[in-house]
Amino acid sequence: MFVFPKNLYTDVRIEDVFKTTIAYTLGKLDEQKVRKYKAAFIRIFDGEKWYYSATSDVEAVQGEIDALAQLATPNPGIYQDPIVQKLEANTGEHTKFQTDSVAIIDSAEKLKLLQSHFSTLTEVEEIKMWKARYIDENVRKEFYSSKGAELNFDFQKAGFTLSFDMAAGERRFSEAFTKGSDSFQDLQDAHQEAKAHVAKCLDFLHNYRTLKPGKYTTIMAPVVAGVFAHESFGHKSESDFMVGDETMKREWAIGKKVGADILSIIDDGNRPGSGYVPFDDEGTKARKSYLIKEGVLSDRLHSASTAAALEEEVTGNARAMNFEFEPIVRMTSTYIAPGKKKKEELFREVEEGIYIEDLKHGSGMSTFTIAPSLAYYIKDGKIAYPVNIAVITGNVFETLGEIDGLSDGLDVDTKVTGGCGKMEQFPLTVGFGGPYVRVKNINAQ
Amino acid sequence: MIKEKYIQRTKETALNVLQTQVESLRKKDVTKTGLRLYKDGHIGVSGALGKYDEAELEQRAQDALGLQVPYDLKVSQDNKQTMEICPDLISEQDFPAEMEAMLAELRKEQPKFSFSNKIKLTEREISLVNDKDLDLRFKDRLISMELVIKEKASANLFDAFSGYIGRSYERREFLRLTNDICNAYQNPVDLPQGEKMPVVFSTSDLLPLKQVIMDLNGQSFGTGSSLLAGKAGQQVFNENFTLYQNHNPEDSIQPFFDAEGVVNPDYRYTLIDKGKVVTPYTDKKTAAQYNLPLTGSAKAEYDAVPTLDFTSCKIQESEKTLKELLQGQMAVFVLVASGGDFTPSGDFGTPVQLAFLFDGERLIGKLPPLQLSANVFSMYGEDFIGVGKNSLYTLGKEKYMIMNMKVSQ
Repeated sequence: MFVFPKNLYTDVRIEDVFKTTIAYTLGKLDEQKVRKYKAAFIRIFDGEKWYYSATSDVEAVQGEIDALAQLATPNPGIYQDPIVQKLEANTGEHTKFQTDSVAIIDSAEKLKLLQSHFSTLTEVEEIKMWKARYIDENVRKEFYSSKGAELNFDFQKAGFTLSFDMAAGERRFSEAFTKGSDSFQDLQDAHQEAKAHVAKCLDFLHNYRTLKPGKYTTIMAPVVAGVFAHESFGHKSESDFMVGDETMKREWAIGKKVGADILSIIDDGNRPGSGYVPFDDEGTKARKSYLIKEGVLSDRLHSASTAAALEEEVTGNARAMNFEFEPIVRMTSTYIAPGKKKKEELFREVEEGIYIEDLKHGSGMSTFTIAPSLAYYIKDGKIAYPVNIAVITGNVFETLGEIDGLSDGLDVDTKVTGGCGKMEQFPLTVGFGGPYVRVKNINAQ
Repeated sequence: MIKEKYIQRTKETALNVLQTQVESLRKKDVTKTGLRLYKDGHIGVSGALGKYDEAELEQRAQDALGLQVPYDLKVSQDNKQTMEICPDLISEQDFPAEMEAMLAELRKEQPKFSFSNKIKLTEREISLVNDKDLDLRFKDRLISMELVIKEKASANLFDAFSGYIGRSYERREFLRLTNDICNAYQNPVDLPQGEKMPVVFSTSDLLPLKQVIMDLNGQSFGTGSSLLAGKAGQQVFNENFTLYQNHNPEDSIQPFFDAEGVVNPDYRYTLIDKGKVVTPYTDKKTAAQYNLPLTGSAKAEYDAVPTLDFTSCKIQESEKTLKELLQGQMAVFVLVASGGDFTPSGDFGTPVQLAFLFDGERLIGKLPPLQLSANVFSMYGEDFIGVGKNSLYTLGKEKYMIMNMKVSQ
């Protein structure tokens, strides 16, 4: 298909994107948009440096290859280079959503679905401001390399968000109800769920109290636990941070005890949902990676470059946000494996603590942070009342050792908005999840 | 019918730095074109990446018009302005070699640290042109230095950060900035005694401004869900606190017009004047709906209907330097504070991953990890000290604000 330059490694990623956005504010249509485009990202490697080009003109890919080749230094031994050796040369058609594509669903159906939720918001007097937004995206990728990769795969997401600002006197509260899936059909019949969420928010607005800052035993709902896993440990498993760094290699040696015995954290691009990526943007097939298994550091996430540098195997985690960027090491679906306790047991065993049901955002470096939205005070094993918390924080390693209870269910959320940010590439769609997770000594303020 | 084109072109050379060496070079030249049609109180928008067929683009915009998205507002017209900011910045050809040379010096001067992430040279062209004599064109060149710093002996993913986005580059000045951070990092110091103390944030750090920005949103203000709703004209904050919506190229990297073609005198709009709430920021729709002044705060993707969003702001500098504002007190200089937020009642809390002790002129030493807490009305009220008139470095024209906050370890 392309003429690849001699003595250089080359790959081409072509993205064919379909995206719908429908947005309303206070019942008035702001936007109804379908975006379709095809664009490409080209990489050339000469054994010393990578050369990249992003183009929105797929007819010009060959020209871009030729121009990039002029910048590189031909290397007759390029196919013996350790990085190139790690690159897989997968082939074939691996599409999953061509018959169930959101691109073939009529826009009127999407509009109708969104409008059917308006009454949930308009019937609540305390909701002063609201927005409703439907989003779907179907991405089909082609991948070709000078090693012989010739690959097609796809992924998609669909969902809607009802975001609202509530006010009562001097009290304010902002929240959102979100429903997401990889299938449009799964979005139907979420009305009771949405109403229940709004009712919970209303209760929060009228009854929240201020939490005394301090350290609390904290129970996290699955979505919060997923963000906690992603932020507290997932980013530290992205091995690009370790390349060429002897301290990091020593500190992050496989086999090191890093968390409680009951803790296992998994990243898996094969799992259906918003983190589903059957192949990464280097053409590597997705793997299930146990980042932590029973409290022990077991694996980490790789691109071909990092796998070569650390003499480990590729994991299918070299991902790019879109055609404008090169792939870097990123997570896919990251979740905490379930435990053995019943959810009720987790709560019953807490004399005084907090429960985080939903969140605004999280971050993770040496300390992780989660900014809760819906949070509750637990007293004598029961939820007592809602509380306002700006942020919960903890030292990552201390906190992973403080996990003392996991419920027996697993819930991996499909996100339709937001995503993960890493340096210049934000947002990248990922999946989060886990069971209900109980952690001691979390700092809340 | 009015026909309007919104075109964004980005031409960029980006270097990825890994372990203080250039690991890759990325070239990008992407043009995004949006066509907007306005007719009978409605708007239809279509978009294209790269080359496109004019007739097909127009047909899609016509189809979008049929969806009847309301836009019963006056389309900007009769305004022709061009602004080209092409500073004497390094050329695209010299850029990779200069950065290799800068990194070589950094390797020598800071052998205990490694540096990673992106350095970019970007040329942007943004235009909004319609057949009612609107012709606004903005062309700009920017350099963005964003280096993540890691102490080689540390087990953290990264330890500090050095960088700026601006229209000037000078190797020695960037090295001075980075050396100051690395040198201070290697000098651990204790947090001075006292529950409250002056805290210094860069004015480009939106974390401490997040609540003010949310509450100045015209829709939140107009519907009553903002903490500032109904407070227009009232003295809510400190009289030293004046906040502008800012599209002035002197100290903003935004184009001088918004996505609806609104251009303000001096490219600024006063939102808070000496502590008094003047107006929230608005786009045309919000201004009309809630009878608010139009501040020109519409944003749009190339193929989207313009919508209200926060663009860029500036806090008025005081007449004093940072040193004078501190009056001999030591301050906490926040370099990395990530993950914090405000509660619905305006209480603020954030961890500070990296802070330095600061005397108004110099980063003295690295403080232990901290927690900051405050309330939005005290941060910009009785605890607001001011914004220094001086920058610490000449590169990005960064200014710094000081406020008293509760600081704990």
